[in-house]
Amino acid sequence: MAADASAPTLGTRFKRPTFIGGVGAVFVALLVALLIKEATVSPSQFGQTTLIGLTNGAVYALIALGYTLVYGILELINFAHGDVFMLGGMLAITIGTHVFGLHHGQGPVTVLIVFATLVLTMLACGSINATIEFIAYRPLRGAPRLAPLITAIGVSFIIQDIGLAWKGPNYVTAPDVFPHSQVFSVGGVDYQWNHLIVVIITVPVLLALLWLVQRTRQGKAMRATAQDKDAAAIMGINVNRTISFTFLIAGALAGAAGTLYALWATTVRFDQGFQLGLIAFTAAVLGGIGNLPGAVLGAVTIGLIQSWNEGLPWHMPGSDWTQSIVFSILILILVFRPEGLLGEKTPEGG
Amino acid sequence: MLAWNTLGRPGWQSLRGRWRGLRAEARWGIAIGLEVALAALLFFVDHALGYAVLTLSAFYWIRRLPPMPWKLAAQAALVLVFLVFQPRSLGALLAIAFAVFWIPERLRVWALPVVAVVAAVFYPFYQTEMFTIPVFGVWPDVATGVVMIVFVMMAVGLNIVVGYAGLLDLGYVAFYATGAYTAAFFASQQFAGQRCPTPGVSIENCTVAAVPKHNFDLGAVGLVPGAGGIHVSGWLLLLLAGVITALFGIVIGLPTLRLRGDYLAIVTLGFGEILPQIARNGDNFFGTGVNLTNGPNGITPLDSIGFGNKLSGWTGGVLPSNFLTCCKANHLGHQFQSTDLFFWVAIVLLLITVFCSLRLQYSRLGRAWIAIREDETAAAAMGIPLMRTKTWAYASGAFFGGIAGAYYAIFKSATFPGDFFFNISVFILCMVILGGMGNIWGVIVGAAFLAYLDREGLANTGAWINSNVHVGHWHPNLEVPLYASGIYGLIILVVMLFRPEGLIPSRRRAAELHEGVHDEPLYDSTHAGTEA
Amino acid sequence: MSDTNDDLLVAEDVRKEFGGLIAVNDVSFTVPRGRVISLIGPNGAGKTTFFNMLTGVYKPTAGSIMLLGEDVTGKPPHAITARGIGRTFQNIRLFQNMSAIENVMVGMHTRMKANLFNSIIRTPFVKREEAAARARALDLLQEVGLRRKAHEAAKNLPYGEQRKLEVARALATEPQLLLLDEPTAGMNPQESAEFTQFVGHHLRDERKLTVLMIEHDMRVVMGVSDRVSVLDYGEKIAEGSPREVQKNERVIEAYLGKAAVEDMKRQGLS
Repeated sequence: MAADASAPTLGTRFKRPTFIGGVGAVFVALLVALLIKEATVSPSQFGQTTLIGLTNGAVYALIALGYTLVYGILELINFAHGDVFMLGGMLAITIGTHVFGLHHGQGPVTVLIVFATLVLTMLACGSINATIEFIAYRPLRGAPRLAPLITAIGVSFIIQDIGLAWKGPNYVTAPDVFPHSQVFSVGGVDYQWNHLIVVIITVPVLLALLWLVQRTRQGKAMRATAQDKDAAAIMGINVNRTISFTFLIAGALAGAAGTLYALWATTVRFDQGFQLGLIAFTAAVLGGIGNLPGAVLGAVTIGLIQSWNEGLPWHMPGSDWTQSIVFSILILILVFRPEGLLGEKTPEGG
Repeated sequence: MLAWNTLGRPGWQSLRGRWRGLRAEARWGIAIGLEVALAALLFFVDHALGYAVLTLSAFYWIRRLPPMPWKLAAQAALVLVFLVFQPRSLGALLAIAFAVFWIPERLRVWALPVVAVVAAVFYPFYQTEMFTIPVFGVWPDVATGVVMIVFVMMAVGLNIVVGYAGLLDLGYVAFYATGAYTAAFFASQQFAGQRCPTPGVSIENCTVAAVPKHNFDLGAVGLVPGAGGIHVSGWLLLLLAGVITALFGIVIGLPTLRLRGDYLAIVTLGFGEILPQIARNGDNFFGTGVNLTNGPNGITPLDSIGFGNKLSGWTGGVLPSNFLTCCKANHLGHQFQSTDLFFWVAIVLLLITVFCSLRLQYSRLGRAWIAIREDETAAAAMGIPLMRTKTWAYASGAFFGGIAGAYYAIFKSATFPGDFFFNISVFILCMVILGGMGNIWGVIVGAAFLAYLDREGLANTGAWINSNVHVGHWHPNLEVPLYASGIYGLIILVVMLFRPEGLIPSRRRAAELHEGVHDEPLYDSTHAGTEA
Repeated sequence: MSDTNDDLLVAEDVRKEFGGLIAVNDVSFTVPRGRVISLIGPNGAGKTTFFNMLTGVYKPTAGSIMLLGEDVTGKPPHAITARGIGRTFQNIRLFQNMSAIENVMVGMHTRMKANLFNSIIRTPFVKREEAAARARALDLLQEVGLRRKAHEAAKNLPYGEQRKLEVARALATEPQLLLLDEPTAGMNPQESAEFTQFVGHHLRDERKLTVLMIEHDMRVVMGVSDRVSVLDYGEKIAEGSPREVQKNERVIEAYLGKAAVEDMKRQGLS
């Protein structure tokens, strides 16, 4: 019943073209035309925003994967996930500056400190996430499906206010340690190191996740539990432990995302988690909830859309409308194509 | 001794089991001991409350004794003693509670709501005389009361959607906003437009001050002469807001209500976020200069409501012509104010909402909603059209949410985009969950309590904690209202884990939540049943 | 496949595919008015899938279904119920936390007219309708012998009574055709015998209903059916009177395997 959280199936099934499909295709064509116009009007800005969008997408990908892993295994939309991401950002800042004394201009030792911060934050967030599952979701395993969803909202608010109590209502600044020098320049557009670093760190994490899910026993247990909890239990898989492990991994991904975001955007605030989390959730749904490569694809897409909307000059709605655009995409996907771009249609229609 | 194998409900249930296993005398002893301990604790905080707990406890145990001629006399005596020695208001409260519980069960079902309504109606008269609740402070003033009732109305509306039909709606704030802005559109100067008074001159070339272009008046009160805009009578406006919001609910329900429960929740959340953003950006849509919502500055002022000069004249001034300019009367030692009028109208609106909700609950439609909530497939097989029935629930919830929003906007005489955000949807959901999904009385109690907390309770509690709690010289400096969302989240978490059926559960719901709704019933050939 | 006017239900070349799996393979089927038809076959033969297509839970991949001369192929479940098909479920799908009488009253939904507005005002029409519905519900409970338990929660009823309640609820939809999906599953022999009587005597002879049953219990099938159809691997392999079907080689093979058929032939029983 739950979608397959395993090997990518990039082959979409071709059905008879429908009216909605036609409308969608026209819509997409118009968007592409718009983008081409933007690119011709101001190529440098187009390039700039595209690169920023890709970096956005990388961060969103890490968060989206957490949502999709948990949904795949429990069919639960973990509202609190975005807030764990936010906590991760705050933890990273605290660990980095207070434990390791991270600050601007430390030279090569920065790499070590960032790495250590990343690992510790991932561990911490993983544990936090697994604890949340144990306290809030496990007792509700047998309850009607909406019960854990409602509980997740409650947990989300609790974590937000923990962040609020810890760091206050204002932005928390992280030391700006990523270099801003350019990696390369194309047609007057600089691609800066801080963007590249985010991608450089994200890619191995994604690959590690893929390896974990595909090639390890735990990964196989996760996939099996996602497909059919009862059958997996009969096969001797410890379902509780597998679910805890999934939450641990998802939390670790959120922690990684938080660390990267904190160091890249250099500001974190207690209420960012929910908003950014929902954007990442949209990305997961866009790609196909439960589908790992889909989450990455969706995240990159949403990251680009957001960046283009906020950065391009010619007749764009602008940053005032980003939320509405993202939520409109979410609503349209759920109504017209709930399986997302890469997901598989289930009999229940999603 | 306590078996906490896992946290949450399983552990709780084993605790309950152990409790029931004890001998009756042991249970009484523990209960009495706990009550005395509680009374003693409260005694240190406030004498009156300690005595109140003891008195209530005494009541309860006397009731449980076998019938004796002096039982009633003993209870009455207790009340009298309390009345004499304690703050009069607390004594009066206790006396009323005693009277209500003395009424036989059958009539009590009616007595309780009637007493509650009467008490609420007279609240402005005795509000200032009420005793001070420790920790929470004074009883809320009438203006806060209006806000509380508005939120209770919204909770009752959401209860129809979530409690009766089982549709998780995370975007109720969208209906609230729609109602409020409808009121703003049709009772303000928002759409006055501009024209030049010099004939034949366009507004750009105008050398004198511009005057309003449009002016549509339909029974509104308190209008500034010469002010433009659409002005519809407040009463009509409430109905209009309800209808428009209901239509809006139907429109967004059409494509989305066929989605599965959790997807529906997300989609409603989406609408709940999009609408406020439209309100915020609505002063200049995409640079076209169209000003629909006046953007972040909101729309203010809004026309007041009233009964108009004619009706006021007929009733000799009893019905005020304009709520804002009313009230020279002075009865029972209380000087009438405009907030009192708003308060009473709010009570009427709430009563209407509760009335409709109850009528729907026990109707053909109400049964259909419960059937859908329990088992959609079986409901459809019994001839219930799923989409249509769910849409009715959604539209009803939207209707009352819209009226509540419109009324609140009129009361505040303003509506700002900053009033509407996601947390409000969750706040109202929290009310429904705390009170008991599906049980209207529980929802009312839960909503009133949480609305009070939000408005004053948290601030007062924070102040009390900051001044009264100290370890040596250290005082906490908590700004409790800042953490309101977290507190509501904690309430949701605790309720869902330990008592998902809420404070005052509907018996049906309690069963569903503890034993699970049969989305996919098991093939079960054994069934513990008592066959007579 | 007779095409007389007296056929309540005519299903023609109905097919259901789930991805690559063909669950029902071009089955044609008629149900004549006033008869009890049994649909039998080994597990997984596609019987419940066929039922689900008749009641609108699944949309047929191909084929047509005509009810009382009207095309109902692919219509949603509530519309088909409104047109006269009532059903029970293989796994009991009562509204567990509603009382017995409430369950039955839900079944009356399509036959009642109260809407949101007159329910709020409670017009005299609505009051009368509710009272009449309540009375009818009690009568239906009386018919199945559950009147004493009218206010008992459905989940508290013993298993056999839950099955009866499901029938009462299906009858509340005032069907012309009643679909029973394994109605005697889990019943002991006495309950099954009572039920067989109930179907034949009460539903068919007294109430003049048409009944289509999926059943596994051959005593019930043989005891009350006017006609038996057999499905195997999604195809109809036999149809006829109970006697005829009992002796049909293909049917025996489907249930007991080829070896059994050989055995019977050798023993001269065919």
